[in-house]
Order: sequence, then structure tokens, then C-alpha cells
Amino acid sequence: MTVLSLTRGGAAGAAGAPPPRRRRGRVALARIGGGLAVLVPIVFLSTFITFCLGALSNSNPAATILGQDAATPAAVARLDNYLGLDHPLIVQYWNWLVQAVHGNLGRSYFTQIPVSVSIAQRLPVDLSIAILALILAVVIGGTAGIVAAIRRGGWLDRGITAACSAVSTLPAFVVGIILVVLFAVTVHVFPANGYVGPSAGLGDWLSHIFLPSLALSLAVSADVARQLRTSLVQVLEQNYIVGARVRGLPYRRILVRHALRNAAGPALVVLGNDFPQMLAGAVAAEVVFSLPGLGQLLLESAQTRDIPVVQGLLLVVSVFVIVVNLVVNTTLNWLYRTDDGMGT
Amino acid sequence: MSGRRRLIGHNGAKGSGSVLRLPSARIAVGILAAIAFLAAFGSVLAPQSPLAINANALFQGPSLHHLLGTDYLGRDVLSRLMVGTRLSVLTAVEAVGIGLVLGAIPGIATVFVGRSFDFAINRVSDALMTLPYIFFAVAVTAALGNGLPQAMIAVGILLAPLFFRVTRAATLEHARAQYVEAAELLGASKLHVIRVHVLRKVLPNIVVTTASMTAAALLAVSFLTFLGIGVQPPTPTWGGVMSSDLDYLAQAPWAPFIPGVLIAVTVGALNALADAFRDRSTAGTLVIADPIVHTDLERADGDRQSQAVA
Repeated sequence: MTVLSLTRGGAAGAAGAPPPRRRRGRVALARIGGGLAVLVPIVFLSTFITFCLGALSNSNPAATILGQDAATPAAVARLDNYLGLDHPLIVQYWNWLVQAVHGNLGRSYFTQIPVSVSIAQRLPVDLSIAILALILAVVIGGTAGIVAAIRRGGWLDRGITAACSAVSTLPAFVVGIILVVLFAVTVHVFPANGYVGPSAGLGDWLSHIFLPSLALSLAVSADVARQLRTSLVQVLEQNYIVGARVRGLPYRRILVRHALRNAAGPALVVLGNDFPQMLAGAVAAEVVFSLPGLGQLLLESAQTRDIPVVQGLLLVVSVFVIVVNLVVNTTLNWLYRTDDGMGT
Repeated sequence: MSGRRRLIGHNGAKGSGSVLRLPSARIAVGILAAIAFLAAFGSVLAPQSPLAINANALFQGPSLHHLLGTDYLGRDVLSRLMVGTRLSVLTAVEAVGIGLVLGAIPGIATVFVGRSFDFAINRVSDALMTLPYIFFAVAVTAALGNGLPQAMIAVGILLAPLFFRVTRAATLEHARAQYVEAAELLGASKLHVIRVHVLRKVLPNIVVTTASMTAAALLAVSFLTFLGIGVQPPTPTWGGVMSSDLDYLAQAPWAPFIPGVLIAVTVGALNALADAFRDRSTAGTLVIADPIVHTDLERADGDRQSQAVA
């Protein structure tokens, strides 16, 4: 699931004949304007959907907070007024959004702990898993893709391709369980569950997040490997690579400086598109390895129907997805911009 | 992969046979037929009661009496999986159905209704794509109550943008064809154009998307039931069997592999089927027989595109 075209909608009209140099600035502005025209409605819509979940739930927050005995109509009305629940939906949404922008996501119905505090406590767990998973995906997927491309047609290539197909059918939580069985239960190399922060020691921290990250990264690694293999095979058949070999340049240098540089694009796109989903996928890893992350918080608050926490979580994750997508697309456009400054 | 795909694409574009010519598709259809059979008759054919607890037979390995062993309450794993198939598969199909209706209809409509409508629906689709499946599904069950229908509506809504994009792109491609223009000049109504010209051409893309989305929905359902969303504990589901195995890894480390393999094989079969359909209908050539005149030019173009893909 990607938002690949997030910044492209507005640019489509401007693309065409390459503009002269003077108009570059205007084109760039039009691009940014077009991007914003697409981006702003997305942010509002996705936050509105998130907010509406609370309104859709039939639960009566005031009654829930007060408990069965104290929930007299007058007390409920007073609390509704205090919580702002007596306003029209769209006003409530606007107030909620303004508060959210200021970092106030409300308080849990039950524990009264500010939602932003709970999220901030648990976010590092998922972020460290997701980032380590990203690194692992680059290392594993990159290596596998390059090896497969160099040895194309050989048994190593076939093995890697087969492994990629197999891995991509396995959901992350199944991979996670397999890893637990292999490395934590059978051979006690890594801890099977739990989390310690980086402050407790780097080695300890890494050993606790390694298996979850590996579980999360395998599917992405397979995507990256497949994409990199395909584009690298194409690039290696180009004339300039043949030319470089004829000139007697070392193969390693040709591979890294000439081929990989040009072949990495599509693999980077795959990686960039998969990363936002990795944070969401970290939920799977969290549950299997019982780490105290956002996913556990989501499950707990869903069970108690603690709507502010659920809304806050959904808001944070979807905004994260939007921001990362934007950053990834902008970076890729900048990296692979063509001479006319239009990007790819 | 590229070599094989080109070969298949080439045959596909020329041959008139069905998708079933490919061995991978035949195996996939066989597996899916077996799963469908289990979904229909699993609860009748299950050798034992999926809920019968036997304290004398905990964590047993596969044996003649319990072909796939027993779980932490001594319940027969094979029976639990057979009975659980219906719920797991039906909910995934429901989600895909919701996604198909919510996605494909606007996908065709946006091309014909107008630009502002197109823009609005596109933004809604983009916004939905920023919501991660599992987070959204769990959040919806928090709001609407913990039940599989609620979770499935959530997953279906999130599948809709994917159907929408595929359908819209395919519709755009065909709605600008010259024969559509000709039909419009001859006075054909929009509905006629959609029904006769567009729908048939877009159908192959929808079929491919449906197959791969069913795989995605099945994964989502298994994961949700694994998390305990939507079903109460004694009810057997694929994900549920797996989650109870997870707590007793020390006693029976092999146990999660059984539902894991079942899920992976089904998802793999659906993906293989989607690939087969995709190869068969390379770049817009048809899966189904087409009564409309099929020009040689178009065929050649399809061939070239399929080779470009490879």
C-alpha cells in the first residue's frame, strides 16, 4: 500500500516539454502548489476519519468516566460540556485538531494519563524496530539482489529468487514466531521477548530488538532484492558497462560506481514506500515478542474502548505515514531529477 | 522471473486457452478449491469436535488419532483448523467484496462524471491509503465493538483505494480509445459505453486485483484473529490457533508451523493465481472472449507491451 503519487498529482499538468531555465522557478512553485493541493486535503480527510471513529462509537464517554452510579443526567451533561461533547461534530473535530497540533491529544478515559505521554513512552520501541528493520532490509535485500544479478541464471540466483517468493507469502507474525522457535527456544541466542532501552546498554538493546526487526525486514528485503536484481540485470547489459569492462576497469568498481548507482533507484522507491508500513508492521513484531510498543497500547485501549488513546495512535501513525511518504518522494525526485529539474 | 514472465506473456497474448494452462495456476486453483471445500464442509468433516478438551492428551505430536496433534487443552488441531477455515476465508472474502464495491464503482465513475468529482474521490482514496490496515481495523473495533464484521468493514474500506486506483487507471486507458469516441459520436450514452466497452476491458484488471487483495485480506484476517480481534477464544480460526500456540512454544515448538504453513500456502496460491491472470491478460489484452472487433494493431501493441514488461 503506497501513496506513491502523493506529490505527483499537481505536477502532471506541468510535465511536458522541458521548460527554459528562467521558468524553472515557476515550475517548481507550481509543483509545490500542486503538491500542497493534494497533501492538505489528505491530511484533513485522514484526521477527520480518525476523529469520526470516536463519534461513531456508541459509547458515552461521560457516562464511562463517571461510572454507573455517578452518571446522573445532570453530571453527564456537565462533563459533556467540560469535554466539549455538546458541540456539533465539525466544531469538535476542529477543536480536537487544533489541540492535536499543539501536542495535546487528550487524556485516557480510564487512567487520565495524557495520550501524548503514553505515545511518547512507547514510540521509541517501534521506531527502533522499524529503523533497524530498514537497515537490515538494505543489507539483506541489497546483498541478495546484487548476488542474484551477478550470478544470474546460476543456482544462487534461482535460490534467492525462490527464497524471495517464499518469504513474501509469509506474514510478519508467522516469520516472527519461526524466528522465536529457531533462535530463542531451540538455540538460546536471543531473548524471546521483552524490551530494554538503549540506556541499559547498546548490546542488550540490540539483542532485544534484533529478532523483531529481522521478522519485520524479511518481506521488505525480498521486495528490495527482487527489484534490485531486475534493474541491475538491465543496467549490466547496457553498453556503457560493456565499455567500462573493455577499458579494463576493475569489476568491483564498475559494479559500485557505474551499475549500482543507476540500478538503485527502483529498489529505493520500494524501500521508501515500504518504510511507513514498517511502523505499522512493528505491531506484529511487538505482539509476537511482547514488546511494550504502540501496538500493545492500541490493543489494550481497543479492549477497554479508550477512544482518545485509539484516536491519538491512529493520528500519529497516519501523520507519520504521510510525512515519511512526502520525504521519500521529495528525496527520490531530487536524487533522480533530470536536467530540466522536473524529477522523474 | 523475467524470462518466464515473457514466455508466459507471449503465449498468453496469442493463445485463446484459459489461465489453467499454466502449471502454477493449476496448482493454485487446486489448493484454493481444497480451501473452499474446507470452508464449505470443514465443520461437517472434522474428525473430532474442535472444542472437546482432553486433559490426558496435551501437546501431542501428530499421530493416527490426532493427525496434526493436539493443543494446550488437548483439542484436536486438525479439527480446529478445518472448522476455523470457514470463518477465516469468509471474512476475507467479505472484506474483498466491500473493497471491490466501494473501489471499483467510483473507479469507473470518476472517469465519466467530472473533474472535481475525480479530484475529490482521489483525495479520499489517498487519505484512506495513509491509514495502516491493522491500526485502522483495531481502532474500528474499538469504536464499533469487537466483532469480525466490524473489523472486516474496516479492512474492506482500506482495500477500496487499491481497487479504485487499478479500476480508474484501466478505465482511463480504455475510455479514451477511438472506438469509444466513435460510439459516443454515434450517440451512445455513457452507461452504454461503460457497459459495453469499458467494463469488459477493465474486468481483467479487477480480477487480478481481486486475487491479490484476497491474499492481503486473508493475511489481515489471520493477523487480526491472531491478535484476538473479532472472535471470542473458543471459536477456532487460523490466526487464533496460532496465537494459542505462541504461549506454549516451550512445550510444543513445532505447533505454530501448522497454521503458519496453511496461511502461507493459501496466500501463496492466491498470489500465484493473480500472477497467472496478470500474465494471461498482459497489458490490457483480454482474459474473456471479446465480441468487439480486435484489431491486429492492438494485438501487436499488447505483445510489444508484454515484452517491454519482461
